[in-house]
Amino acid sequence: MNIWAYIIRRLLYVIPVLLGVCLIIFVLFNMVSPDPTLIMLGKHASLSQMEDLRRELGLDRSWFLQYLDVVKSAFTFEFGRSWSTKQEIIEMIKAGAIPSLTLSVPAFVLSTVISIAISLFVAFFRGTFIDKSVVFLCVTMMSISSLAYILFGQWFFAFKLGWFEISGYEFGFPDFVPYVILPVIIWVMLGLGPDVRFYRTIILDEIYQDYVRTARAKGLGEKVIMFKHVLKNAMIPIITYVIIQIPFLILGALLLESFFSIPGLGGITLNAINSSDFPVVKAMTILISVAYILFSVLTDVLYTLVDPRVRLK
Amino acid sequence: MAEKILEIKDLCVEFNTDRGVIRAVNGVNLEVYKGKTLGVVGESGSGKSVTALSIMRLIPSPPGKIARGTIDYRGENLLEIPFDEMRRIRGNKIAMIFQEPMTSLNPVFTVGNQIEEVLELHQKELSKEQRRDKAIEMLHLVGIPSPEKRVTEYPHQLSGGMRQRVMIAMSLACEPDILIADEPTTALDVTIQAQILELMNKLQKELGMGIIMITHDLGVVAETCDDVAVMYCGQIVERAEVKELFNHPQHPYTKGLIESIPSFDSTTGERKDRLPTIEGMVPSLFDLPDGCNFQDRCNFATDKCRGSEGEPVLKSIGTHHDAACFHPLS
Ligand SMILES: Nc1ncnc2c1ncn2[C@@H]1O[C@H](COP(=O)(O)OP(=O)(O)O)[C@@H](O)[C@H]1O
Ligand code: SF4
Ligand SMILES: [Mg+2]
Repeated sequence: MNIWAYIIRRLLYVIPVLLGVCLIIFVLFNMVSPDPTLIMLGKHASLSQMEDLRRELGLDRSWFLQYLDVVKSAFTFEFGRSWSTKQEIIEMIKAGAIPSLTLSVPAFVLSTVISIAISLFVAFFRGTFIDKSVVFLCVTMMSISSLAYILFGQWFFAFKLGWFEISGYEFGFPDFVPYVILPVIIWVMLGLGPDVRFYRTIILDEIYQDYVRTARAKGLGEKVIMFKHVLKNAMIPIITYVIIQIPFLILGALLLESFFSIPGLGGITLNAINSSDFPVVKAMTILISVAYILFSVLTDVLYTLVDPRVRLK
Repeated sequence: MAEKILEIKDLCVEFNTDRGVIRAVNGVNLEVYKGKTLGVVGESGSGKSVTALSIMRLIPSPPGKIARGTIDYRGENLLEIPFDEMRRIRGNKIAMIFQEPMTSLNPVFTVGNQIEEVLELHQKELSKEQRRDKAIEMLHLVGIPSPEKRVTEYPHQLSGGMRQRVMIAMSLACEPDILIADEPTTALDVTIQAQILELMNKLQKELGMGIIMITHDLGVVAETCDDVAVMYCGQIVERAEVKELFNHPQHPYTKGLIESIPSFDSTTGERKDRLPTIEGMVPSLFDLPDGCNFQDRCNFATDKCRGSEGEPVLKSIGTHHDAACFHPLS
């Protein structure tokens, strides 16, 4: 079977999954959650006011039609307006995505590359003092609260040394750069512990495989064995681990965004939750679900490229 | 007398384990001759693989360490040459195939790729096309049907027997002086096993390499070997030419091994009932007894064997026949 046919089939398969996800979202937001008119108008609204608002929001229509609205928004990304700011939600998302992505993309790329590089390095020195120290360091770093990194970073590097901005954001390149450096560094530091431990385990699993002994018996050097034989096999689990994190990058990092006052999607989502702005929360849920489903298709497609044992079916 | 190409002297290999240091190989001496097959037999855990891996300098370290000994290959001690030089010998002059055909090939590269890799490493003068041609030629040589097609396949598309043939093709691609085969047929079923052994015999005649055939099966030894060394608890307990060993075993352990070879009914080809195996268990390397390591399983053991005169050492008993026993059988 041809790879393109495979991709198309996998994408077609996305449709029922998406319909199911929409159903869950619909049940959660339209059926289980409290009456939105109560939230918007408060306890003392008159019945006719509530009726009017229900009609305006389309809540008087049948559940099936309301479900179709959810489905439609998953395919068109037309989410309607926010209850609290009255803005078009898609515009809010577009505006928030820029600060979020300028933080999360560089942070994610850097942390993935650095973690894999460190893991290859310590796997090379497995069992030695270097390896043990790095593992110890990872565990130590993981057991420190993320707040400690943020507060220390802001106090020491931004306040004491004045190397970076303490908080805030400016749109446009390169204006945003000074604002994201510190949160990016902290993001990388936060990820290093768990990531290095994870990648190291995966690489060590491969290093003790029989094919590595064969490669040595052929006369190959350790570097070729590591970068060609081991890494290509290790890519299979690494791909899943990396790609499945990507959909969540649009959320940015809730904690980092709020501490550094970065006006990203994380902040928008938090505000929406606090003010019961359901359409925005729903839009973010739909967006992440769609991204998650699409990236899992991407994972499957990449598998077929790295692992010949995976059949296209 | 054929040319001696490899000589192992007094090889000792130790492993650091949670329970202390064990000596997995203890004072082994072996010789490999051009065009001849040396069999190394013994029960599981007797140190056969560790001996073989030592020759390739592939002992995992830590926990392993070659504590003593020399391995002379054409006038050089392999244990002392620089690592880069050792890498030029591996896969080129001395090649090895392993017991696990299912897992010894890299699953994400084609078999052609994996054969070409060894050529790229050791025969730099070959072009890409020549390497591909040679890979196909090698697959043909080891009896893989339609090698032009197979060369682009991945290991998971081949059966265990076919994968072991690929391993053989890969190991012989550079026409090595010595092929170390560590239980090459143990994981395969009986008919495939016979085919692989026959193939190795045939290739040895064509290419003239010396073979170290490691096995726990004396039946395999009978079919392939010229000389045999019997190992027990990391030591060689008997050494002789193959006919001499089968006809006049001197060590009670060897005799036990020979008696427990399952024989075949010559008319039906069926395996006869299993003959008695040697009773008792191999002693733990953590607490070997004083004297002979085989004493607890031996019907001929005396006080002498139990340590009053130290360990039995390998001594000449007849022409080209050595045994480490205080009371050799004949
Ligand atoms: N990687 C290792 N770590 C610890 N001990 C080992 C290791 N490899 C081998 N040994 C020890 O060496 C002994 C001999 O092993 P081996 O040479 O593999 O036996 P066999 O004759 O079955 O090939 C084993 O019983 C084991 O105690
Ligand atoms: S030395 Fe003694 S115990 Fe050991 S094999 Fe010979 S007779 Fe048996
Ligand atoms: Mg073994």
